[in-house]
Amino acid sequence: MKKSTQYSNLSKVMTVLFALLSIAWLIPIFEVVINSFKANSFVNLEPFALPTAESFVGWANYIKGMTFGNYPFFRAAFYSFFITIVSVALILLLCSMSAWYIARVNSTISRVFYYLCLFSMIVPFQMVMFTLTFTADQLDLNTPFTIPVVYLGFGAGLAIFMFLGFVKGLPLEIEEAAAIDGCGPLRTYFNVVLPMLKPTLISVGILELMWVWNDYLLPYLVLDRTKYMTIPILVQYLKGSYGTVDLGATMAVIMMSIIPIIVAYMFCQKHIIKGVAAGAVKG
Amino acid sequence: MAKSKRSVNLVQRPIRRFAPIFILPTFLAFVIGFVWPFLQGIYLSFCSFNTPKDAKWVGFSNYVKAFQDPGFANAFWNTAAFAVVSIILINVVAFFIAFALTQKMRGANLFRTVFFMPNLIGGVVLGYIWSMIFDGILKNYGTYLTANGTYGFWGLVILVAWQQIGYMMIIYIAGLQAISEDMLEAARMDGATGRQTLFQVIIPNVMPSITTCTFLTLTNSFKMFDQNLALTGGLPSVIQDGAKVNITELLALNIYSTYNINKSWHGVAQAKAVIFFILVAVLAISQQAATRRKEVQQ
Amino acid sequence: MKKLIAMLLALVMVLGLAACGSSTPTETEAPAATGAAGETQAAANTPAGEGRVYYLNFKPEADAALQELAALYIEQTGVPVKVVTAASGTYSDTLTAEMAKSEAPTVFNIGNMSGLKDWDEYALDLTDTALAGELSTDDFNLYNEAGELKAMGHCYESFGIIVNTALLEKAGHSLEEITNFETLKAVADDIHARSAELGFDAFSASGLDSSSSWRFSGHLANMPLAYEFRDDGVVEQPATITGAYMDNFRSIWDLYITDTSADPKSLSTSTADESKAQFTEGKAVFYQNGTWEYAGLLEAGMNSEDLAMIPIYCGVEGEEEAGLCSGTENCWAVNSQVSEADQQASLDFLYWLVTDEVAAQKMVDTLGALPFKSAPEPTNVFLADGNRMLEEGKYTVAWAFNHTPNVDSWRATVVTALAAYSADPTDANWEQVVSAFVDGWAIEYNMVNG
Repeated sequence: MKKSTQYSNLSKVMTVLFALLSIAWLIPIFEVVINSFKANSFVNLEPFALPTAESFVGWANYIKGMTFGNYPFFRAAFYSFFITIVSVALILLLCSMSAWYIARVNSTISRVFYYLCLFSMIVPFQMVMFTLTFTADQLDLNTPFTIPVVYLGFGAGLAIFMFLGFVKGLPLEIEEAAAIDGCGPLRTYFNVVLPMLKPTLISVGILELMWVWNDYLLPYLVLDRTKYMTIPILVQYLKGSYGTVDLGATMAVIMMSIIPIIVAYMFCQKHIIKGVAAGAVKG
Repeated sequence: MAKSKRSVNLVQRPIRRFAPIFILPTFLAFVIGFVWPFLQGIYLSFCSFNTPKDAKWVGFSNYVKAFQDPGFANAFWNTAAFAVVSIILINVVAFFIAFALTQKMRGANLFRTVFFMPNLIGGVVLGYIWSMIFDGILKNYGTYLTANGTYGFWGLVILVAWQQIGYMMIIYIAGLQAISEDMLEAARMDGATGRQTLFQVIIPNVMPSITTCTFLTLTNSFKMFDQNLALTGGLPSVIQDGAKVNITELLALNIYSTYNINKSWHGVAQAKAVIFFILVAVLAISQQAATRRKEVQQ
Repeated sequence: MKKLIAMLLALVMVLGLAACGSSTPTETEAPAATGAAGETQAAANTPAGEGRVYYLNFKPEADAALQELAALYIEQTGVPVKVVTAASGTYSDTLTAEMAKSEAPTVFNIGNMSGLKDWDEYALDLTDTALAGELSTDDFNLYNEAGELKAMGHCYESFGIIVNTALLEKAGHSLEEITNFETLKAVADDIHARSAELGFDAFSASGLDSSSSWRFSGHLANMPLAYEFRDDGVVEQPATITGAYMDNFRSIWDLYITDTSADPKSLSTSTADESKAQFTEGKAVFYQNGTWEYAGLLEAGMNSEDLAMIPIYCGVEGEEEAGLCSGTENCWAVNSQVSEADQQASLDFLYWLVTDEVAAQKMVDTLGALPFKSAPEPTNVFLADGNRMLEEGKYTVAWAFNHTPNVDSWRATVVTALAAYSADPTDANWEQVVSAFVDGWAIEYNMVNG
């Protein structure tokens, strides 16, 4: 009895402590929110002050942010969304298929591919970034509509490796039974294997989503930068551009770029956290 | 034996016929996105080139130049120091937050949500946000973030800690939750103090999480680019011992900025990239080997 | 749930395949893809088989005008013209990346001799082109070692100290008083001393943020460079410099950071917009910038009769006879590696820019003075001031900074040192500025040429 009251006292203290820590943790985001409503000059002068009657500009920064840096925000957001969704979908589908093939077919190709995948996991992007840019340009992979191929190629190693870890644990009997029932490999894969892969699909998907959505350097180097920007490229471009450093509007752009992720996070929090935990244990 | 034969006939053979569907698309993309650029990268590190079309073989001179570049050496030591500091800071803090959150506490789920949140924000945006914050704070002391290397270094450490603690925390929570209640109960029955429980029961049991997190923070630190670029961009750039050095530059950014000097540096940048690759690969392999040895011992 | 996932996957797969499929033919760009990043893309009425123009613009402030002109040209001729502007400080980076691409720029900018060294083999010899025939002077061109005209200065500009003459008079001074550094300092010191009473100060903030620092690491730094090169007869990029006039540089910089309302400690984060705002809002009398600022100042509500530009004085002997600093970093080069049709289309477009009545007028309004025979006279009062000084027989301060090796990098080091000095103006810190100048020059020279 005594013990449990002790616990709850400690737990109360901890709760208060962590509540404070959590609030402190959110200050940087809070900073962006308040500054996105302040006029540019006030952001510079007093970045930590709350908006006052004088400095408050309402939605003006957001309206300006829509077309800031000579590039419509929605276009960058569209490209970011498109690239992320298509790339992750391609990676999930094609890499899980390849992993199944590698797990089930014992051939030289399988082994070579497997070892190449392992190898690619220890190669940093810097090693291939310059040459990848040339290759991508030659093959017309420099548009948002084709860049998912690059993501598939560069991301295949890790994804296949993670899928393999799971596929190897799947019981063969089910697939044999499907084969006996007359299912071809495609039907076996889509009707039998893929549903069983669901937890891995989610965790790989989350990791790849976070990677592709936030990736800056790969699209910056590969995309035809004069036409296409993703959100990270746009933000970096705003910072570097000439004479137009409107911090208020930039904060508005940052807000617009993080709101969708935070909303998505609120809805799929459980999956995201589970995915990260599962993915890390495998990786 | 008969069983595996049956599965060869039933499962493996039909799949093999479907290789063009199952493996070919990924393999082609893999060749385009990894294999070919990798091989070409090795080749070009021995060349002087503007584009691969005009590459001229120059032997090892790019590597000689890379090793002679004080900026590269500076970036290496920066990266090493940054890796050590951030590995310790992130893992210690993340572990204790995870430990606290796995105790009975009201609102633990909410706190976990909050701590993880910064991970969702991309490195470039993070750099932008934090450069505003640091400059805002330092302004009160009559200085600014890129005034010297110290601010930039610790600024990056704080930024990265803020970003990654939540991620590592999740992994530690998973590890801690896997420790069976029985084991903790047994320790309690044996009269173990809190400290003994922590060091003799809990930490040994979350060793796999610790290795994973150390590995992740290590490779993250070595590959750090976006945050470095957006926070300080390597500034300040000063003259040291008769050479120019970007004080807060890490390796990945150094490679990138070397490439952008002009075309006579493209080859050197690629050579640096190869050196960087070897460094990262050696770190990763030795770390994995160490982990495996430990797991075998257990 | 399983069904939902399966459906999602199927949808996503179709999307993915569609995306891959549509990429095979090169020209099926989605409509959303065109017109990005301040770019004009030719419409579908492109005449087949003719060249294209891809103009990689160096001057962000000229972007709007060039886009407009490109659209007009497309309308008139149907030739596809694309104008792309690189963000400030990223031109060489962007150019390098774009040149490696299959759809490389056909017209690009070479800023100075060191740029020409980098891009010589990509630049067409313009010597006998119709465009070259239109030039009114060769002063702003860049020639390679073989004497070929590789990059053509297509506009020239001047910079100096912009003065709000209305405020100057309000403070009881006049332009005539200012003839050298001593008199400039006397006027500025007086205004600064009485700033509380006057409600304005002498100089607008000398911000060292990336949007503003080029005014000092580029333009102000030109003063010591130009006088040194004049004395030493330097006409090509030198491997080393002596910094003989660095004391003069320090004098003028001290003036900038003393006689101002801006806190010298916060200069490194102070932006171009802040500085300009201080000037346009009547809070500062002096504002160092160039002729290109004219339109922006009028837009911000200033009157042309209240504006004048005077030379930057820094205490050099005989500077009473100095005019503005005039020159250009804007030299057109035509990419020799693209098809002949593209080269011809590019030359035609450039020719049109300087000879067509509407186009040339727009170019003059945006870029200042054009060294072409048929270009109209500038309406810009700063350029008029510059011309008047030339007529009075004053000397032009050359754009010596065009010789700067690895220019962005050299300037970054200078800015770092200047910021440190401004926050704490000691002799030791000034030594760092001198070192960034002189040693930095040698280092960058070796880096680019070594």
